[in-house]
Parts: sequence; structure tokens; C-alpha cells
Amino acid sequence: MTQVRFVGQRFAAMVIIVLALAAAVFALQKMSPLDPVHARLGGQASQGAIAAERHALGLDKPIVTQFGHYLAGLVHGDLGDSYRTRRPVTTDLLAYVPATAELAASGLIIALVLAIAFAFASTLRVPGAALFRLGLMLGASVPTFLLGVFGILLFYQHFGWLPASGRTSIGNAPTGPTHLLTLDGLLHGRPDVTWDAIKHLLMPATAIALGPAVAIGRVLRSSLEGELGSDYVRTARAKGRSERQILLGHVVRNAIGAAVSMTGLQVGLMFAGVLVVEQVFGWPGLGLYIAESIPVADFPAIAGVTLLLGSAYVVINAAVDVIQAAADPRIRV
Amino acid sequence: MSAQLAPEDVLTDEGYAVVATAEDLHVTFRRNGKAIHALRGISLEIRRGEILGLVGESGSGKSVLGLTLLGLHGAGATISGRATVRGRDMVSATDAERREVRIAHLGAVFQDPMTSLNPTMRVGRQVAEAAGSDEEALRLLRLVGVPEAESRMSAFPHELSGGLRQRVMIAMAVAGNPDLVIADEPTTALDVTVQAQVLRLLRTLRDELGCSVLMITHDLGVAAQIADRVAVMYAGRLAELGESDAVLRNSAHPYTLGLMRSRLTLGVDRSRALPALAGEVPSPAAPQPGCAFSPRCSVAGPDCVETSPEPVEVEPGHHSACLRPLAVVRRTDTMGPAVLTARAEPARIDQDTAALSLRSVVKTFGVGKGFGRKRTLHALRGVSLQIAQGESVALVGESGSGKSTLLRVAAGLEAADSGEVELSGGSRPQMVFQDSGASLTPWMTVEQILGERVRDLGRAARAAKVREALSLVGLPAEVGAARATQLSGGQRQRVCLARATIVPPPVLLCDEPTSALDVSLAASVINLIARLRRELGMSVLFVTHDLSVARVVADRIAVMYLGQIVEIGASDRVTSAPLHPYTRSLVSAVPDVGLTPVILPGEPASPLNPPSGCAFHPRCADATESCRDTELGLRLQRVANDDVDRVACINIDLSHVPTPVYITPKGA
Repeated sequence: MTQVRFVGQRFAAMVIIVLALAAAVFALQKMSPLDPVHARLGGQASQGAIAAERHALGLDKPIVTQFGHYLAGLVHGDLGDSYRTRRPVTTDLLAYVPATAELAASGLIIALVLAIAFAFASTLRVPGAALFRLGLMLGASVPTFLLGVFGILLFYQHFGWLPASGRTSIGNAPTGPTHLLTLDGLLHGRPDVTWDAIKHLLMPATAIALGPAVAIGRVLRSSLEGELGSDYVRTARAKGRSERQILLGHVVRNAIGAAVSMTGLQVGLMFAGVLVVEQVFGWPGLGLYIAESIPVADFPAIAGVTLLLGSAYVVINAAVDVIQAAADPRIRV
Repeated sequence: MSAQLAPEDVLTDEGYAVVATAEDLHVTFRRNGKAIHALRGISLEIRRGEILGLVGESGSGKSVLGLTLLGLHGAGATISGRATVRGRDMVSATDAERREVRIAHLGAVFQDPMTSLNPTMRVGRQVAEAAGSDEEALRLLRLVGVPEAESRMSAFPHELSGGLRQRVMIAMAVAGNPDLVIADEPTTALDVTVQAQVLRLLRTLRDELGCSVLMITHDLGVAAQIADRVAVMYAGRLAELGESDAVLRNSAHPYTLGLMRSRLTLGVDRSRALPALAGEVPSPAAPQPGCAFSPRCSVAGPDCVETSPEPVEVEPGHHSACLRPLAVVRRTDTMGPAVLTARAEPARIDQDTAALSLRSVVKTFGVGKGFGRKRTLHALRGVSLQIAQGESVALVGESGSGKSTLLRVAAGLEAADSGEVELSGGSRPQMVFQDSGASLTPWMTVEQILGERVRDLGRAARAAKVREALSLVGLPAEVGAARATQLSGGQRQRVCLARATIVPPPVLLCDEPTSALDVSLAASVINLIARLRRELGMSVLFVTHDLSVARVVADRIAVMYLGQIVEIGASDRVTSAPLHPYTRSLVSAVPDVGLTPVILPGEPASPLNPPSGCAFHPRCADATESCRDTELGLRLQRVANDDVDRVACINIDLSHVPTPVYITPKGA
């Protein structure tokens, strides 16, 4: 019961945050010197046409009404029309999101795998852990875009192991139902598509994963080491539990709290990394979309991407809270 | 002295006589680059079915011996000698062998049951890990007296009270019928009434299960109450070993004699400064040759500095490690000259001027997070207390009684929800805390810390003032240049007192300033507070859970239960002829040599939900139906129209004050 209540509270908080984000985006749009009517109709439109368009867009109404309108649109998935593509922003986003989602998710998985390997190798003093750590730190200290460029020079140009751009090299790759090529390949019984998608993902996903991997790994390692010195571990040892049973049965659940928080924070940074890396690898995702929208001040498109990424960040951090509460019963009190 | 047992005696399952031994055990580990000589050649044996009390001050190595027997001494330690459990040497054993011995033969109970239990695992599972199955875990929880054991199986540790948590630890320790339970200060973190319950439980379990118990404690009273034999450790070596009565009542070693004499009991002479062992425990980082106790010993001779004494049998079954003849040791006053201070001049108390008055103070806290989930913790439920100028009052009570909150309200650190707090004179009271290390800023020197309070003075005047304050608390001026981390616990507490008194406050507020200190240091800090109070004319409000400390430091004792004062009166009267049923049970639960405690059932109710009527009625043996009455409106009543003694109980004859019964000092 308390758990249901806890999740409900976090969900309510999430809605409030997204509303605040929408308000901020709306306010920015209003403050921008760019006139949407001008952007739509061009410089030569008549006064009458401009007034008609203003009315059609609802721009002659009070600002509160306009915001209400905007929110109502959001609820129905209407983010307005892009000035540039002349299509609804929602339609555009649906076309670009799967590529970015697949890249970000792969990056997160790689980051978590590396972080966990790094933390456990250091804690258990596995031979070679120091070398692994050094490599990871080195990678994390290089800016993401540079990492991408180095990767392309090494693995594409020099070795020819991995492709340098795009999501797939297969012309008739299946589309749908998920629009994630790794999954769609499996669903259509085309392992070649999945394998090809993985090869395309490997370099850009690793490039965005290294920084978060080090951050999460360090937090996890210090929690693991701290917890291993705690009194309840001494109790478990006195009971005659083995070190493996202690680590997996007792320590991990107590240690993941801080690492889960750090993961939530790093996801935000990772979104920024995704937008940059997509440029380097010609990845047809939100990064490309927003890079084309910013120079022409396509505000509805920029606002749409901002709201989407912001909401994703909020959802992930709400999930972080729920995972932490599941791990630590004291949080629910 | 440890009788060498033939291996066949030890290994046969039946008929073994000795469960565990330490044989010339040395343990050295490194901390901050320094070698810490924790054990320096200790030999003893734990017999089958006995409770061996292992007594010593902090740094004596008693916990290290327990951990070494458990094989939990850590990889960094250098060890020579043997520590055997059922014939298996835990020092040379492999990790797998140690685990086998722990599973088959050992159990452990540690000091703090909150941190010693995994906070994210249900207690049933934690017990089952040791017990093997849920059914066995449930049986064990019932065995150790956990009420509603079935539903408690799925509770998390934070959902249990301190006493129940320690019972859960004990259930884990006795799982699988171990031959030896190692209990490291198992009652130190518990309230005195709960401590008495847990000690009785350990004894009962030993009688029922036949296991041996190594009872590690700093408290001689606890050892006296539970142990069959007592081993006294000093600086990593054995000082004395024998039957409890022989060691504690008829001590043979100067250190044990000193400990027993400086020990605070309800029978200590209040009119003198407390006898305190001179000097401090030697640092385990730099052990000296010879007897480690010789620098503090009044019977030590030149040979004591060179020869390290081995324990020899002085009476049948009674061993002492001292070069001096027994007759000399027992005849001499081992306390040294520093102890025999003249009868202290009584403090001047001006009964007509109140230094601090609290009237109907109420304080609540909101606990719990989230919307509409806040619960109210009733910390203070209408407390009135007046402290005269120059007077010393002790607040006594168990955890959750509100005594520390009252102190913080008096200090102005918390604002009362309602009621009045009135201080005479303008200046604020000063506080001294339990953890002297944590209450001194680590990167500031002592001089800077003290100087902060006299910032207005010029540089030279300030330096002079700091020197003066340090000398008043008995510290040399050189301490001014040191940082808190470079000082010992006793020195740190003195610095805290110097900080509080560099500008003499009207009221000194003390929050358990001695409970983290060893016996001999606690006595000297109490003496110091008494002297400062006399010399500076301060009033003192002293919070403690220890009645024997309260009796010595205070003129009056106020006993608190769940946010209310239930009894207040002259120190001697409250501790020797208590009126309120709660005070009576507190007094009788104080463990002491030669006393059988009366055990109060149950645990303090939660201040989140204080019982109606008299809050104590659920635990009170004398409670009647009317004690439960929500309209009871219980208040402190004068006893025999005297101004000093008041009690809040409807079942007490208020017509006369009982005469104090002076308990004669025991043990010595």
C-alpha cells in the first residue's frame, strides 16, 4: 500500500514538473523576437492576411488563453507545425525519435555494463582492474565528438571493422513495428539487420557511454567499498556467509542507491552527448533534426524537442526514485 | 596458565572441557601508517558452558580478541600465537575453514543492533540465513522473546525497537546451537531497563542451550551480573582472571582495584571528588617495556618498568599479572596521591534566584516524508523546571524521554512550541556534548576554537584568556596549538569545557559528556565539571541516562518519561528511596556487583503515540484502571509539603518523604 502511494506521489510530482517545463518553453517562445506569422507568411504578406493569420493562430487572444490552448494541444499530442518542414512537429518527432531512442538506450546499457564491470573489478581487486580503469578514464576525459572522430579514424578508416555513419547499410531494412532496427530485425526474422544495426550503434553509443560509465562506476565502487566495511557485513561474515553471498545478497542492494541517482543525472548529460554524436556519425535522429531547426529559428520544432527530452529526463528520474524506494525500505517510511 | 589440552580432549564431540583458547596471542595491525599493538601476548581459555566476562577500557584489545576468535581480524593484521575454537586455530585456518567453524560452532552479537543488521533485508531472512530455514528462524525469534514473531519475520530492522533488534541479533547468534557466542558490548547501546532484559535473556539461553558466552564489556557492573568468570585486560595483556566474585570483590591486580574504586555506583561518596585513576590508558601505537600499568600504579617499583609480569595463580583459580605480593597490593591504596582530594567545599546555591526557568514547555516534531503522512513526535509534553543560581540538576531518562530536547530548548537551539524559557542575565548558556571529537571543528586549532568566543579582545589579551581557560580545565598551554584530532578523548572533552567556560556562562548545559569516556576519564571529567561550577558560580543542567552519574553531579535529579517529568527530588533521595514506579525500576536496573536487578517488562512506548493517562501505565506493576484515564491530567505533586520532592503518580502516599537509605559502597 505504501509503495502504491509512493509511486503515485512521484507520478504527481512528475506531472507538475512537465507542466512547469511546458510553461517555460511557452514563455521562451513568447519572448523570442521572431514573429510566427511572419515566419509562416513571409515578408510580403498583406496587413489583412497577417491579421487573418493571427486570428487563425489564436495570437490575438490573451496570453493566458493562448497558454491554455497550448497545453490543450500538448495533451492531444499537438506541438504545432514546424516552420521549416511545414509538417506537424509531432509527425517529425515520430520520424526521428526511434533512431535517437535506440542510440541513447544502447549508450545507457553500455554505460551501465562498463560501470558495473569497473566497480566490481576494483572492489574485488580483479587483476587488470587498474588497467581497465585507466582506459576508461582516458576515454571519459576526451570530449564526445573527438572520441567519435578518433573512433571513425581507427575502426572505420584504419581497420575497417565498423561503419562510420547512418543506422544501417541494408537497403530493404524492415520498418516497424518498433522502428528500432535491432528489435525490428529480430521481429521480422532478419538477424542480419540486427547485427548490422548493432555494428552501426557500437561506436556512437560507446562514445556517449564512456563519461557516464566512469561517473556511475566511481559512485558504485565507493558505495560497495563503504558497505563492505559496515557492521552488517561483519554480522554476515560472523554467520559464516561466503564473500560472494555477502556481496550479492547483502551489499549490492544497499550500495545501488547512490549509483542509481547518478545514473539519473548522467542520462541528462547523455542526451546532450547524443545530439552532438549524431552530427559526427550522420545519425538520423533528433540531433540532426534540431541542428537543422536552430539556424532557421524553427521554434515549434525546438520547443518540441526540448519538451520531449525534458519529459524523458523527468520520467527517468521518477523511475530512479521508485527503484531507490524498492531497494531501500527506509525511504518509504 | 592456559592448561595445555591434549588435542583428543578438544576434538571429541562429547566431553570437551574447553571451547576456545587464546595462546600467547599477539595481534598487530596498521592504522594510518602506525603499528597498533592491539594484543601483546594473551593466553586464556573459555570453558564449556561458562560465561566469561572480558573487561577493559577502550584500547585494551578486548574487541580484537573477540574478532580474532571469530576469524574476522582482517587481512592486514600481523598475528602470532593461536586462537582456537573447538581445537581449530582461527589464525592459521583458511577462509573456508574459518567459515565452517563460524557456521558450526560460533555465534556473534555486536554493539549496535541497528547497524549490525542489514537495513534492506527482512529480519526473518537474516535469521534464516543463520538458521537454515524459515521455520527454524521463527522458532528462534520466539525463543529469544520477540512478541508476534510471525509478523515480525517480515519486518525490516528499522521497524523494530532497539531491544527487539538486539533480540534478533541474539536469535542469529544462537542459530545452529553454537558452542560459543561472542557478545561484543551487546547492551551498551540499549537503555538500562532493556539492558537488564537482554542480560537475563543471554543467561537463560546459556542455561538452556549450554553454549559458552564471551561477554565483552567495559562495564564492570554488567560483567558482575552475567559472568561466571571475569578476565580483565589492560593494554593488550591479561591483568587478572578468576571467578567473578573473586576478581570484582577481592581484586588482586592494582588496575582492577583502581577500576573498582573509580567506578561510579549508586553508593559513591558524593561529598568528595570522585576517585579517579591517575593518567591515561597507554597508546597501543607505542607500547613500553615492562608492566603497561606501571606509570599509573602506586605500588610499582623499578622492576615493574623492566619486567612484563605474567599472570600467576594468587589464589585457587584466581590469576593476576603483578610483580608485587598480593598482600602489598591489597593493603595499599592504589589510587595514588592525586585522588585523596580534600572534602570539596559545597557549591553556593542561591535558592531565591532562578538561573533558568522553564514553564509548561511543549515541543513536537513532524516526522515522516510526503503529503499528509507526517506524524507528530511528542518530545516534550508540558515540562516545568526551575534551576537556582549555582545549582546543578540532572535530567535522567531512557531514549525518547525528551531529556536532550529539553536541553536543546534551554540552549535556544530549538524553539518551544509553547511555554516559556527564561534565563537570568543576558548571556546565553553554553553546551558540552557527548561526542567531543565531532563537536570540535577538525581544521581549527584549539586556540582558534577558544578564541572565537573572545573575538572582541586584542590579540595579546585573547591569547592570555585562552591560556587561562586551558589551565582552568587542567590542560597545558601547548594544547592551544593542537587540532582536535591530535588530542585524546579526555583532552578533547576538557577543550569543550574550556570553550564553554572561557566566558563563564550563567548555565552550563551538558549532554551526556561522559558516556563516551572510559571509567577513569569519566570520573575526572565529572570532577572537573564540579570544580568549574564551584569556581565560576555556574548552574549546571546535566543530561544523562546513567543514574549513578546523575547522583554525583547533581543536587537534584529530574526523571523524565515520554516528554514529562515524573519525579524530581534531592539526588540521594531519588536514587536511594525512589517514589515513582518508573524511577524504582530505573534504580533497580542499574547493574552492579552483588545486586540482582528487578527487571521492568516491555520497552519505552513511542513518543509518536504516548499512552493515555499516565504514559507509564502499560509497564507499571501498580497501575490501576484510573491510571489509563484520558482525563487523568496527571501533574507533579508535592511530597509532604516539601519544596524539593515532587512526583507524578496517583498511587503514592504523598504524606511523607521516605528517608534516604545510603547504600554502602560495594566491591572495594
